[in-house]
Amino acid sequence: MRPAAFEYHRAASIEEALSLLAEFGEDGRPIAGGQSLVPMMNLRLARPEHLVDINSLELDKIERTGDTLSLGALVRHERYFNEPLIAEHFPAFLDAAHWIGHPTIRRHGSLGGSISHADPSAELPCVCVLHDATIVARSVNGERRIPASEFFISAYVTALEPGEMVVAVELPIPQRKQHGAFIEIAERMGDFAVIGIGAVLELDGDTVLDARIACAGAELTPVRAASAEQFLKGRQLTEEVAQEAGQLFAQSVDPVNDYRSSAEYRRHLIVQLTSRTLMRAMKSKA
Amino acid sequence: MKAENPRQIGARVQRFEDVRLLSGVARYIDDIRLPNCLHLTFARSQMAHGRILDVDTSALEDIGYPTWVFTGKDIGDLSMKAHQDVPEMQYSEQPLLARDVVRFVGEPVAAVLAEDPYLSEDAAEMVFIDCDPLPVVGTMDQARDPSIPPIHDGWKSNVFIERQMKGGDLEAARANAAYVVRRTFRNQRQTGVPMECRGVVAQYSPGDRMLTVWSSTQMPHLVRTYISEELDLPESRIRVIAPEVGGGFGVKGQVFGEEVLVAWLAMKTQRPVKWIEDRRENLIASIHARDHAHTLEAYVSKEGRLLGLWADISVDVGAYSTFPFTAAGDPGMAAKVMPGPYDFQAYEATFRALASNKCPLGTYRGVARPSAVFSQERLMDEIAKEIGMDPIEFRLKNIIREFPYKNVLGFTYDPGSYAESLEKIREILADDIAAARETRHSKEKRIGVGLACFIEQTAHGTPDFTRRRVPIETGYIAARVEMQPDGTVVIGLGLQSHGQGLETTMAQVAADALGIDPKDVFVRHGDTLTSPYSVGTWGSRGGPLGGGAVHLASLKIADKLKAIAAHQLQSNKDQISLGGGKAYITDDPSRYIPIRTLARQALRNVENLPEGMIPGLEAEYSLDGPRDGTYSNAVHAAVVEIDVPTGKLKLKRFVVVEDCGTIINPLVVDGQVRGGVVQGIGSALFEHMIYDEQCQPLTTSFADYLMPLAPELPNIEVHHIETPTPLNPIGAKGLGEGGAIGPAPAIANAVSDALGVEVNETPLTLNAIWRLSAHIRGEAS
Ligand SMILES: Cc1cc2nc3c(=O)[nH]c(=O)nc-3n(C[C@H](O)[C@H](O)[C@H](O)COP(=O)(O)OP(=O)(O)OC[C@H]3O[C@@H](n4cnc5c(N)ncnc54)[C@H](O)[C@@H]3O)c2cc1C
Repeated sequence: MRPAAFEYHRAASIEEALSLLAEFGEDGRPIAGGQSLVPMMNLRLARPEHLVDINSLELDKIERTGDTLSLGALVRHERYFNEPLIAEHFPAFLDAAHWIGHPTIRRHGSLGGSISHADPSAELPCVCVLHDATIVARSVNGERRIPASEFFISAYVTALEPGEMVVAVELPIPQRKQHGAFIEIAERMGDFAVIGIGAVLELDGDTVLDARIACAGAELTPVRAASAEQFLKGRQLTEEVAQEAGQLFAQSVDPVNDYRSSAEYRRHLIVQLTSRTLMRAMKSKA
Repeated sequence: MKAENPRQIGARVQRFEDVRLLSGVARYIDDIRLPNCLHLTFARSQMAHGRILDVDTSALEDIGYPTWVFTGKDIGDLSMKAHQDVPEMQYSEQPLLARDVVRFVGEPVAAVLAEDPYLSEDAAEMVFIDCDPLPVVGTMDQARDPSIPPIHDGWKSNVFIERQMKGGDLEAARANAAYVVRRTFRNQRQTGVPMECRGVVAQYSPGDRMLTVWSSTQMPHLVRTYISEELDLPESRIRVIAPEVGGGFGVKGQVFGEEVLVAWLAMKTQRPVKWIEDRRENLIASIHARDHAHTLEAYVSKEGRLLGLWADISVDVGAYSTFPFTAAGDPGMAAKVMPGPYDFQAYEATFRALASNKCPLGTYRGVARPSAVFSQERLMDEIAKEIGMDPIEFRLKNIIREFPYKNVLGFTYDPGSYAESLEKIREILADDIAAARETRHSKEKRIGVGLACFIEQTAHGTPDFTRRRVPIETGYIAARVEMQPDGTVVIGLGLQSHGQGLETTMAQVAADALGIDPKDVFVRHGDTLTSPYSVGTWGSRGGPLGGGAVHLASLKIADKLKAIAAHQLQSNKDQISLGGGKAYITDDPSRYIPIRTLARQALRNVENLPEGMIPGLEAEYSLDGPRDGTYSNAVHAAVVEIDVPTGKLKLKRFVVVEDCGTIINPLVVDGQVRGGVVQGIGSALFEHMIYDEQCQPLTTSFADYLMPLAPELPNIEVHHIETPTPLNPIGAKGLGEGGAIGPAPAIANAVSDALGVEVNETPLTLNAIWRLSAHIRGEAS
């Protein structure tokens, strides 16, 4: 449980980080909080020859520009709890952050690290998809803006190319007030989710004007519930309607099966949690 | 005027060792740093069963730094042997490094040494093990399938051993039964997880021909004996030291091949050698536990009296027999304890140890009893349901109430509080039972209450091991008590303390006998040079046998102190009492001599001693366990809340009523109980060592092998009843393991109560609970 040999480089600026990453290509990796990368290196599941430490870069800002909230790649998970802009505009994002690991992990783990690691059960990739976030990636060749829906390719695989690094995640600030929630089921508190569901609603009274639902843990990437979202539009949200939306969502996914949770159980959880998350989002209105 | 002598036994004394443990100055195995040391990493088998064609170490030749590598071919016939001396046993022998065949994933194949642990780990990766796969034995069915070849040469089948135990007339019980209740129960394979993994450091010093071995073990003397026999060295030239041991739980209560091999390597290379187990090795290749399957059939009269019990017990014990409790340990123990706290006189059990291509099974807190009590107590609930009786009522109807009680196998139980503790728990749970009933028809939230009533044979001694014919052979515990010239005391203890608080509890016991402050007693343990020979700390023996030995050795010194005091006070030693640091005339405490003055006289100013008295204040006592041990009893109860739609279980409450006889220190007892309960909760809900069909372990890190964590735990309420045993000099029974025995059956019974279904398997994961509640959701299960 000791990592294979590697060289460590501490980047002093984004430019330096990018040029180091360009130089090392496949053999180099950024390290942020280290909460996923270090265990993988200790188990020798990851063997980067060069680590580029990005922790001293100024990538930890949360800024509003017009209708966009930009979250720096080094924003640590615990920051969301004290961020009025998140609480006001992205309640599902805030809700989701509570489910990530434990206090120590939330202190060190970063947004860029979480989405680049792209664990299929992780909360932040799921809420990025939920909120139609844009991932801002940079390399020595310039900047790319990748919609979240195209960023996550498979389990632990993203659209990032060697030499490229996430610098920020942009969330579109909604025009109208949104209600959101995130609920998950995990074997123990702080474990990666068996199933996690995020939901965002725009409501007029009890009537759904717009709905977005996303799921972590079902497939190899976060999935959106197109049919359920469509179904909810214009309907009054009741327990029954929420259940029905859950059913629609469950029918549209192809859940993974592993030694701990069967696909059938996951499918069932999608129904239950979708319904609960929708109701929780609606109740947060009060 | 009478003297005030606050009794130390029973006092809530804060643990002395905690100062060291909590301030970070304790020294564990990895803190042993010796100059010029070589670091060892094992190349381990990645295949579950295969014939070794080649172990290719040629890549190490041009690795660029010095390495030393040893394979099975280099170590002669050094091996681990753990035979039970009975004709039915098929023997296994595990070479310290696999020679011809590998039999489980993680089995050591090559030992790679380098001057830095990073370098040895890099080098070990470059050893190429070429194996021809052999068919794996991965399930109990496969182990019993005669068409699958045995995993050991010369074996007739994959059964290590199969035997029977019986007592009374089972035919008659069956004939008289109004109800016959038969169930099959299964407990998963898991492991015991000490926070500190294992580790061994060895150094040979040719000058004094002394081999020193540091090992994170629960049994330093036994390690010494095994090394001495295997390496053919005099025991007097071997010193084994267990430094601070960060948890053992029985896992470190065996002698391991690594301990022998590291010692051999230190002699071979003439350099200190160090091996520190990592977590992956600890999980896949240290010691596994549980993995029981039981089928029980109970015969019950019309009135609800148990008439007899039939049991079939299988345990998957993995690839090799482990020393010193052997492959037969778990199944034999399960068969022996299955009659439990209930009064019936007909019993028959067949028990077997099955071999598989998995990590060897060994002792882990509770040893077979968590599984036996699981089956026993699940069955009691099932019978109660079948005959329409309240489960507590049914237990009370069958519980043993008169002592001493001779059970169906001839074991005599000393007095306990079986019925009383059941009644007490019923009182404590009254509201929960009522609340549970309210939820009986809910499709959303169900509450359930379940309990487990059990006894635990503790203080096992030599008679027990003679009967079992296991290589542990003996069970006494020795203590050497030495008073120093200043009146302080050093105890050399044959036990080794790895979290039990023995440095405090043993000091309390000595302090009472000697009339001094426990702070003036220093307990030394875990070093064969300073402690008298004993077989180590395991099996809930420390309190009763260690405490008893310390008490009796201290009394010998007390007696001498009294004689000196009587001489000087011109009194009779029968009229002298010890207390408050003084020896005084019992009826006139104003006439006294400080004990430290007496100590000085006994060791320095010896001219003041009574004529003919030999100087010195030193005594040793070895206390063995009573013939059948002494029986602690407890009832554990769990209150669970289940969210039916998701299968999420919440432990709302966990209550223990326990009786371990005399309580030496309530803080320590509560700590032991709570720690054990947490591990039991792990067995009930989370911990599972999963193998795939090729016997590849899947749960090889803490991301997959799930331990119970704080948020999952309720406050654990502990209540005590104290029934001192007449079989022990201080009235103490053992309690180290009990906490881990009750939780799985109590929680399973609570889930069964909540959902109205049979719960016959652990762990009760999310997915499992969800499956068990299918009927409530209106699905076919
Ligand atoms: C015990 C434990 C429990 C956890 N539980 C959860 C949980 O419940 N939910 C959850 O979501 N996570 C959980 N995590 C993971 C945690 O959230 C991590 O912090 C996160 O996955 C990675 O963030 P990091 O900053 O630590 O990244 P690192 O570990 O430093 O890096 C992770 C990967 O991302 C790459 N990377 C890092 N930053 C960038 C960047 N800016 N651009 C491109 N690539 C980058 C690295 O090269 C590496 O491949 C848990 C971790 C632990 C140890």
